[in-house]
Amino acid sequence: MRWLGLALVVVAAATLMLGVADLPPHGAPDAPVHTHVGARYLERGVAETGMRNLVTAVLLVYRGFDTFLEVVVIFSALVAVVALPRGRAARPDDGDDRPPAASLTAEGPAQQLVSVSPVVAFVVQLLGPFIAVFALASLYRGHVSPGGGFQSAAIFGALFIAIALVQGRERAALLVPRGARVWLQALGPLSFALIGTVGWILTGAFLGYPADAAAYALREAMVVAVEVGIAVGGAVILAQLFMAMEG
Amino acid sequence: MTFSWSQAVAWLPVLPLAAAALVPIVAQRNARAAGGFTFVVTLLTAALAVALTIRLVAEGPLTVHLGGWVAPYGIELRFDRLGAWSAPLATFFALVVPFAWRYLEGSVPRERWAAFYALMLLNLGGLIGFSLTVDLFNLFLAMEVVSISSYALVAVAGRGTAAWAALKYLLLGSVSSLLVLFAVALLFALTGSLNLFDVAARLAASEPSPAATLALASLAVAFVVKAALFPLHVWLPDAHAIAPSPVSAVLSGLVVKIGIVGLVRVMQLAGESGIALDVFSELLMLLGAVAIVMGAFLAIFQDDIKLMLAYSTISNIGYIVLGLGLAVPFAVSGALVHVFNHALIKVTLFLAAGSIIHQTGLRTLTDLRGVGRTLPQTCAAMTLGAMAIVGLPPTAGFISKWYIGLGAFSAGRVAYGFALVFGALFVFIYYVRMLNTFYFQRATREEVVAAVEPPWSMRGPVIALAAACLIVGLFGGILLAFITPAVGELLAAMGS
Repeated sequence: MRWLGLALVVVAAATLMLGVADLPPHGAPDAPVHTHVGARYLERGVAETGMRNLVTAVLLVYRGFDTFLEVVVIFSALVAVVALPRGRAARPDDGDDRPPAASLTAEGPAQQLVSVSPVVAFVVQLLGPFIAVFALASLYRGHVSPGGGFQSAAIFGALFIAIALVQGRERAALLVPRGARVWLQALGPLSFALIGTVGWILTGAFLGYPADAAAYALREAMVVAVEVGIAVGGAVILAQLFMAMEG
Repeated sequence: MTFSWSQAVAWLPVLPLAAAALVPIVAQRNARAAGGFTFVVTLLTAALAVALTIRLVAEGPLTVHLGGWVAPYGIELRFDRLGAWSAPLATFFALVVPFAWRYLEGSVPRERWAAFYALMLLNLGGLIGFSLTVDLFNLFLAMEVVSISSYALVAVAGRGTAAWAALKYLLLGSVSSLLVLFAVALLFALTGSLNLFDVAARLAASEPSPAATLALASLAVAFVVKAALFPLHVWLPDAHAIAPSPVSAVLSGLVVKIGIVGLVRVMQLAGESGIALDVFSELLMLLGAVAIVMGAFLAIFQDDIKLMLAYSTISNIGYIVLGLGLAVPFAVSGALVHVFNHALIKVTLFLAAGSIIHQTGLRTLTDLRGVGRTLPQTCAAMTLGAMAIVGLPPTAGFISKWYIGLGAFSAGRVAYGFALVFGALFVFIYYVRMLNTFYFQRATREEVVAAVEPPWSMRGPVIALAAACLIVGLFGGILLAFITPAVGELLAAMGS
């Protein structure tokens, strides 16, 4: 049986590699990826979307619906984790309807899972505000320069985890107020639905953005609103996924 | 803002997906309210889908270019005769959700209700997106939304081996997802495009490439796993039997069909790009025929009624795949109509079985002897569903199986025609066995004797669905007439 499995893996891998070998050489200027849709994005992207950054143009404007579904996938991951049976014995029901996994206020001893050296704790405390500012900058300038909502979410989420490890979960949980949690985690999909509708009203196409120069401020505001939804929603989801790990 | 129906197509997947994000907010005040909210959303989605179907019949396919970017530069959703599958999808959810209201009380801890309802809406939105999009990367994302929500729904009751069944489902499902992503990457590298029809046109214009064939083969294997075609069905029985019954209905009736919709997309891609699919079609037919017989055969030995229904899904997927593989008009029409009919019948059967399990707490045929006398309405619905799945006229299952059979004989594939007949015979045996247990054996369990009919929120959907099994059977010609133009298009592309 083991040999059969191994043989299967080898055959499958060889087939896949043969297929890949047939592709145009990596980076070849005349490869279809550079001459068809991509070429048009490069040629006209700035003019027809009004975006100053082509990555943002593709991510939010040309293929905004993909990004919407990506945000939905991230939200699904959180709901899926919340829906799963807890690894350990469930805590006694505290009387409200909130799923325990979504609850950040885990009580009881042994919250400090790892004993952290004072040096690490101090460095996290010292750098925390700077990391937060970096995440904010990445969010606010992300649609123009490298960065963006997803990156910002990852940085905020990592900061949350660092604080939770050093200061304990209860202290970290204070960063995301309990009542606001269900709203914040929904921000990704909701911001897309909302801005998509605004775009529909303005341009006649769902997820459209007004492209003319006169609408600069409006367009900018719409893009930042979506990026904030991605960043805040993503960060809160990352924080809750971490808190759901009780182990 | 000018309202146009084609823009409304965009709302069809967005409405349930955005609403899913709101479910935990609603549930924070009252977990029960989340069920009501979810029901309203499924109802609105169904109404929109039905309205779009009416426009489709009157005016032809509706296309939306999201953000206003025409394909291949933007993402395109098409509400055509295949995409109209979203209408029954949303309608079935609107029947399953009220059934779940009371069902959850006994089977899913209250603090997980919000997650359950959110997952149901995510699942619906993903399924709709999957059947509408003609963009390959978008197809992958919609599939991931469906897959992730399905894995979690299997485990949501959190009892016994649910987590293991969900894990098995997740591992096989992930292989399938990776294959799709790999294929999309290959096709993008070859053509520089993601729109299915643009990719096909560019493949047709370029020299034949082994990478393109590999991409189509990867897609086909991936969708065959999602459809649980024999012998890649191993994840299905446990996952479908262990999940709470409303989830089983959705998974077994609707979610496996993304494999079928995916296979139709592969056929479109292959047809339009001129890549020969002969070997692939032969394989589909062979595996389909084996699945018909094996699924039905294995179902005979199940004592657990939900496991029996799960094996019957494997058999019915065999019918659909055999029909697609035959690639003649009768068979393909029959197969596509059977996608709908099997969904209707399997949702009926799983909800009826769920009612019986909910009211008696028992789930094996041995324990459920004589239940037909204490739950007459539910068991009558189950009987009607059973007749439909056997394919007895005039119920819903008849016309689609008949057409697949006609297709097999008209294509000169007599052996496959006989496989179909044998499959029907086995199916007949196990449902006769079920009916015999329900009606003609003496009850041996106290719970069966004491059982009463379920509350109306559960009984209503079951009775409505059972009635639909009969009505759809009487008017099956309408479905065939509806799908025939799409079949013509598909086969014309493949023949060229």
